[in-house]
Amino acid sequence: MNEATPNKDLSRRGFLEITFGWLAATFAVAASAIASVRFLVPNVLYEPSLLFKAGKPDDFPEKSVTFMEDERVFLVRQGNTFRCLSAVCTHLGCTVNRTEKGYHCPCHGSLFDDQGKVESGPAPHPLPWFLVTLSKDNRLLVDKSQTVLADKYLVV
Amino acid sequence: MSAPLPKRLWQKFERSRVGRSIFRVGLPESNLERSQAMVSSFLLHMQPAKVNRHSLRASYSFGLGLISLYLFLILVGTGVLLMFYYVPSTERAYDTMKDLEFVVSAGLLMRNMHRWAAHLMVLFVLLHLCRVFYTGAYKRPREFNWVLGVGLFLLTLALSFTGYLLPWDQLAFWAITVGTSIASYAPYIGPKLRYLMLGGNVVGQEALIRFYALHVFVLPAVAGLMVAIHLWRVRKDGGLSHPNEPGDVVEQVDLGQLPTNKTYGLMELARGTTLQVGQNPDDEVFSWPHLVFRELLLFLIVMAVVLFLAIFWNAPLEEFANPIHPPNPAKAPWYFLGLQELVSYSAFWGGVVVPGLLVTALLLLPYIDRKRQGVGRWFARERRVAITIFTVCLLAAIAFTVIGTYFRGPNWGWQEPWKRPPPAAEGH
Repeated sequence: MNEATPNKDLSRRGFLEITFGWLAATFAVAASAIASVRFLVPNVLYEPSLLFKAGKPDDFPEKSVTFMEDERVFLVRQGNTFRCLSAVCTHLGCTVNRTEKGYHCPCHGSLFDDQGKVESGPAPHPLPWFLVTLSKDNRLLVDKSQTVLADKYLVV
Repeated sequence: MSAPLPKRLWQKFERSRVGRSIFRVGLPESNLERSQAMVSSFLLHMQPAKVNRHSLRASYSFGLGLISLYLFLILVGTGVLLMFYYVPSTERAYDTMKDLEFVVSAGLLMRNMHRWAAHLMVLFVLLHLCRVFYTGAYKRPREFNWVLGVGLFLLTLALSFTGYLLPWDQLAFWAITVGTSIASYAPYIGPKLRYLMLGGNVVGQEALIRFYALHVFVLPAVAGLMVAIHLWRVRKDGGLSHPNEPGDVVEQVDLGQLPTNKTYGLMELARGTTLQVGQNPDDEVFSWPHLVFRELLLFLIVMAVVLFLAIFWNAPLEEFANPIHPPNPAKAPWYFLGLQELVSYSAFWGGVVVPGLLVTALLLLPYIDRKRQGVGRWFARERRVAITIFTVCLLAAIAFTVIGTYFRGPNWGWQEPWKRPPPAAEGH
């Protein structure tokens, strides 16, 4: 065993040293990097709830579109049906303004029709509709975490 | 004939015990002392003792890199002062801006200087980049210094972006909203990247403190370090590029072959092109006073211009951030309006793909364009192809910026600047 190993060949000891040395160094660097990046991802958010009460159905006149500022949504009432449209442009997040025929984004000019569909401009998707339900105390309950199709209404 | 009084007083101080303990070499009187003054002083030693006449020619470099460095230093100085008042809180940030404007002594001046120096820095780093391109100064052995320079250009933009968010005015709020939304279009990592940048899903306190930490520490520290390496490489790569470069002189010393009966100083083992190689000593002058005085003069000019701007023009401050309504039109500062014009066609193509390709092309440029012709001359004929491509890209960037700045009105609609803006058509 001893006599056959020339100097230049890697000894078992050298092999283990190099292997574990590099493994340890790689692990140390990778672990530090992962821990640092993970540190920057918050685990708790202090953000407003995506679920909110919009008010009593009768607060909204028939055939009306109401902009709700704090929530950045439009509450659309037609007869006794209720829907809720996002006012956040799907392009880069500006608040769209209501026009006679639909919605217009001031930042880069995306134009949406009254169903939220993109008519022109850089917006890649239509404005989403959010789920509207009725709470137990008879208030409109909007869930901004759940989108629905444009033809889904809450009938009161 | 005796020297003027200030000089005599200075010399008296310099020869005193205290003076000699501070300055290793006094005001130089001989060529030897001129060299020693450069080599033995901490602030001067990063520069050579002698410098090529060509490098001093203002019409070659226009001092653009140095101007950028001076602006950076002015920004650090005024920025540190602003930090004594500014509070990175969504509730108080805007009030501290108003305090700086109306209450703090010289607060308005410092804020104005900071803002205008930042605008100028973006401009001059860009001009410096163009100068290095048009004189072919990124070619071997300076490829990596070009890469560092591109990095510094991007850092300059990042510093500007994180900076104008801090006042928490309308510009700040909607710039974060739009900027982080552009990031979310990046393939695969986009939405996560936005979450990481904002520290959440909505633009608020968490986002402000993140951009503040980046702006006042992380980015300036990285930029400062990279500036140091950038300047170091200018020296090590043979000083400023000039037309009579010796070509590829790479002295590689094999330590094993050195004669053992000689003692070598470390200098003699240095690798690569040094300032001295292949140069006529007649082309060189002593850095003290020729280089040092020019540098001081340039600093005075830069400072004077920044002060002039800061005294006569106030830095913009829009209304307090309103998360409900963006201003109409919501415009970024001039250096991002080309990008804003591009994203108004498509956020993915204009905000991610085109800028990504441009940056990649800039980074790879010295490794693609490898012919060592036309180094050290403006617009060398041999480099027609490269110069044409670069110029077309540059003109396109300028065109988009001009359109975004002057030809876009409410709702980012087309509007000739000579026509009066119509009253806001769409109510809030």
